Amino acid sequence: MASSILRTEKLSKSFSNVGVQQHVIKNLDLEITEGDFTVIMGSSGSGKSTLLYALSGMDKPTMGRVFYGDEQIQDYSNDELAVFRRKNCGFVFQSIYLMENQTVFDNVLTGALIVQKNTPQLIQKAENLLKQVGLNEADFHKYPNQLSGGEAQRVGIVRAIINDPKILFADEPTGQLNSASSRDVLDIFTKIHQNGQNIIMVTHDLKTALRGTRVLYLRDGGIEGEYRMCAYGEDDLKERRSGLQKFLDEMGW
Amino acid sequence: MVNDMKILRLSLFNLKKNKREAAAIVFLTAVTTLMLSIFVLNTSKSEKAFRESFETSGSVNRIILFENGKYHDEFMDILKDEYGIDEVSENRYIASASTDVIEPDGNSLSYNLLFVTEKTERRIEKFVKTEQLSEEEIAGLEHPVWLPENFSIVKGYRPGDVITILQGGKKYPFTVAGFYCTGLASSDQLFFKCVIEDTDFDRLSMLFHTSFADTWTGLSFDGGEDFVYREYMDKCREVSGENLRSDFNDFSYGSEQRIETQFLNIFLYLIAFLSLVTMASALFMIRHKISNDIENQMQQIGVLEALGYRSKEISASYLYEYVISGGIGAILGGLLAVIFTPLMDQGIRVLLGREVSADTQPIRIVLVVLLVMALVVAFALQKARTVKKYPPVTALRKGIRTHHFGKNLFPLASSHGDINTRLAVKGLFHDFRSAIGIGICVLLSGTVLLFSMVTFIFFKDGTSGLESMQSADVNTVWVSVLPNIDPFEVKEEIEAMPEVRKALVTYNYKYLTIKGSENSGMSIVYDDFADAENIRPYLGRLPEHDNEIMIALRRAKQENLTVGDSIFLVKNGMEKDYVITGIVGSMMNGGTIMYLTTDGYKRIDPVTKADVITAYLSDGVSDEEFEEALTSRFGGTAKDLSNAAEHGGSLQEKLRAVAEEKIAVLMSQYGVTSADYAVKIGDEMITGNSGDFVIKEIRSWRGNIESQMAPIAKMTKTFTFLAALLITIIVAVILTIIASSNVRRQRQNLGIMKSMGYTSKDLMKQTALKFMPVITVSMAIASVICIYLNKFFWSSLFGTVAVTDPVTIILTDLAMILFCYLVTYIGAGKIRKISVTELMTE
Repeated sequence: MASSILRTEKLSKSFSNVGVQQHVIKNLDLEITEGDFTVIMGSSGSGKSTLLYALSGMDKPTMGRVFYGDEQIQDYSNDELAVFRRKNCGFVFQSIYLMENQTVFDNVLTGALIVQKNTPQLIQKAENLLKQVGLNEADFHKYPNQLSGGEAQRVGIVRAIINDPKILFADEPTGQLNSASSRDVLDIFTKIHQNGQNIIMVTHDLKTALRGTRVLYLRDGGIEGEYRMCAYGEDDLKERRSGLQKFLDEMGW
Repeated sequence: MVNDMKILRLSLFNLKKNKREAAAIVFLTAVTTLMLSIFVLNTSKSEKAFRESFETSGSVNRIILFENGKYHDEFMDILKDEYGIDEVSENRYIASASTDVIEPDGNSLSYNLLFVTEKTERRIEKFVKTEQLSEEEIAGLEHPVWLPENFSIVKGYRPGDVITILQGGKKYPFTVAGFYCTGLASSDQLFFKCVIEDTDFDRLSMLFHTSFADTWTGLSFDGGEDFVYREYMDKCREVSGENLRSDFNDFSYGSEQRIETQFLNIFLYLIAFLSLVTMASALFMIRHKISNDIENQMQQIGVLEALGYRSKEISASYLYEYVISGGIGAILGGLLAVIFTPLMDQGIRVLLGREVSADTQPIRIVLVVLLVMALVVAFALQKARTVKKYPPVTALRKGIRTHHFGKNLFPLASSHGDINTRLAVKGLFHDFRSAIGIGICVLLSGTVLLFSMVTFIFFKDGTSGLESMQSADVNTVWVSVLPNIDPFEVKEEIEAMPEVRKALVTYNYKYLTIKGSENSGMSIVYDDFADAENIRPYLGRLPEHDNEIMIALRRAKQENLTVGDSIFLVKNGMEKDYVITGIVGSMMNGGTIMYLTTDGYKRIDPVTKADVITAYLSDGVSDEEFEEALTSRFGGTAKDLSNAAEHGGSLQEKLRAVAEEKIAVLMSQYGVTSADYAVKIGDEMITGNSGDFVIKEIRSWRGNIESQMAPIAKMTKTFTFLAALLITIIVAVILTIIASSNVRRQRQNLGIMKSMGYTSKDLMKQTALKFMPVITVSMAIASVICIYLNKFFWSSLFGTVAVTDPVTIILTDLAMILFCYLVTYIGAGKIRKISVTELMTE
């Protein structure tokens, strides 16, 4: 049985808006195990992104606990959470969020050097990862505005995995990309998952969700249902799609 | 019109949104206007106050003194015949340099005093009394004295106070009958003219006849523009064949005004420089903020342009913002200047010791307000016009300026060390314009701060810093002995006193003339200069042999002399050549002082003997304690004389005093060691023996420096402290605003970095470190400028060499750099409020 890497107990997150409390996540129990490519789906406002940020230590839960192994992070200060994130988490965003005033290579190293020392091995690793996602050396010294959306997102992925995070968190990573770029990016996600990377991804796109091994469907702040699949490429894509489609239909998607 | 109102509303919205920045600009422009107004209002005020006191007092504009016995009637004829000056009056004066006095509050100080009778005073000026005792009270005074109003304005003397003059161990109390307005001789740095009664004048003239105190004959007149003092003195020398001293004895409107107003002018120029710093800071902030605003509001600019607004109108929205904030600041500063005017008038009054007439001169303040506003508008307009570089499409794409295609400076892959430092250095180059602006502000502020600190530290212990710049052992008490006394024997005895740690034998300051030079100067003479404690050459070495001389820096500069040059000294018709071995920075004697060994001095003046013992007092012993111990030990005749004089002694007793001193002089001339004398007055015979009369005069130079410079030292200390404080506030304001606006501009990047695991502290550190290289470089340059500025300041003002204390400079630099770091770090505290999730969900 795969070991647990992330677990929540009665996780809740509320927001106060003009004095009105909005309970976005309610008493949610969840366990992520080693090797999972977890996809979180749900209708708009179901709390997908909120859950992602609470799990990743980007935001503090209102109540409940978040365990990384034996380490509880819910009571960490903002700076403690930052230190926790740099060691354990990688992030890929819908808006990509590369730093405009830094080159591709520096964007990657800015993420890396907060954790690792500047060694030839690190530089080599960054180069290799960038090449693996399809960028060539000429692209390394380009600035973000000189890249296409797909290229930029690939840089974003390399920046997220350069520190070998325990979990890679992705929030709608293909949300701003065209279909060809989306496919390229998703292929990268599949590949790094195959290489052993744990991934938790939020999406509302079926094609993207197909890349996962476990789909959680959120409704009103709780997990409405769960659907498990084998690793992408190990089964027939049509059957995979129809199975997931059926699950989502049942969930009212 | 409608559009204008919309634009104005947009400006007001921006002002409301950026309250802190607006407040900072209001503060900086207000301070600029205030200081510039102070400068503009007061530069002419000191001249006016000076002119008015001459008008009120009806003073002549020149008095020239001639040494006792060296005046010739032809001197007046020269004035009349060759300069067309018909109204010249000849009078007697007692000039006493560094006269020890006990002030009404019991403090001992030394003043340069010029005594005149009322008759003389009325010939020089109208004797306009400003404050006085009643006529009955004055009539009852035994020894009344009228002092210049400076004593009332600056020193707080009141009519009826008693000022006691100490001379040769004797006390001469005078009661202040009142104060009067005077033109000449009303300054700590020159002389104070004291009007006394004829009998007191006669009494003092009998007792004051040393190198530093004597009776002089003076010519007072209104010298025309064509009157050239040095030329006149040369003519007098030529006619009389006398070796006339050409300094220390000329009182003129021009020189008094220059000396009395020099400190005020320095303060005013420093205030002007401070206003330049604040103005530069305000303009930099305005440019920085407009630049930031345009970058931040690029898409809004695009929308406005798309809606049909012209770039000129959008630029105007930024312009109005600064016309409003800058205008409020300038008007506020102008109002503060009006409020501060009476305070400044009082400051000038105290600094000059002369009455200052109230005159706010609103036109000048309005002109300053308009100038500040014009600068704000010009700089804001120039920056705001950059909006036109962004057509709607470019603006909607957030402008080309946010895109980088340039060279990647400091790539992370090839740099080492802490990542926060590396990112800070990269950030510096991405925000180079801000860095340059901050660099200029810190350079200007740092220069003022360093100069203020160096000056403050110099004056922190009052006048002790100035004492060190005399290049003379002024921390000693000078004991002059009579000519028949062996100074070396007295020295042995003085040195054995518990109040004394060391004693040296030297000469009273003697005047020498360098052949071909217009400036005669005093000489300092020691057997071995290594024994002196405060004489260090700036260039070369101390004189060691009889043909060597060291001169002061001001003289060296004025007469283009340097180490290795030969000069001829002239005295009493003799000429001897000397080699300059060293140059020393010295404030003494207007920077004309010369240093010779005893043997060297004897070459030019073989007759005169050493006659002074300089006593270096033990720790904790005051000058008064030593003088008391000295007179009780050597007093004898002197003590008796003192008592006689103090108790209003009879004419016989006074005669005895003078007789004994005269006898002592004759004894030394005829080489006898003891003499009895007898003077018959009427039926009474006064007899005595001069053998016990040892001490001729006791003088404390330290008290003189204190009386001359203590008020200036105190004011300078206060001013430099306030300047340093103001600069600190300005730097804090600028850096806080820059840091917080940087955080606002970099908000997205900072959020991204937070998501990667950078803590708020990491990012605050990056923001603070970003400007550290430019701040450090600016402070280093400011340090060099400060060293030269300090050197220039002391050299041009006093002819001395200022050695800027490197420890003060380094500590101030470090403190400033640390302060800048902390202020920027704290100013970047808004980073804590940046929420990663909010950023992601925007």
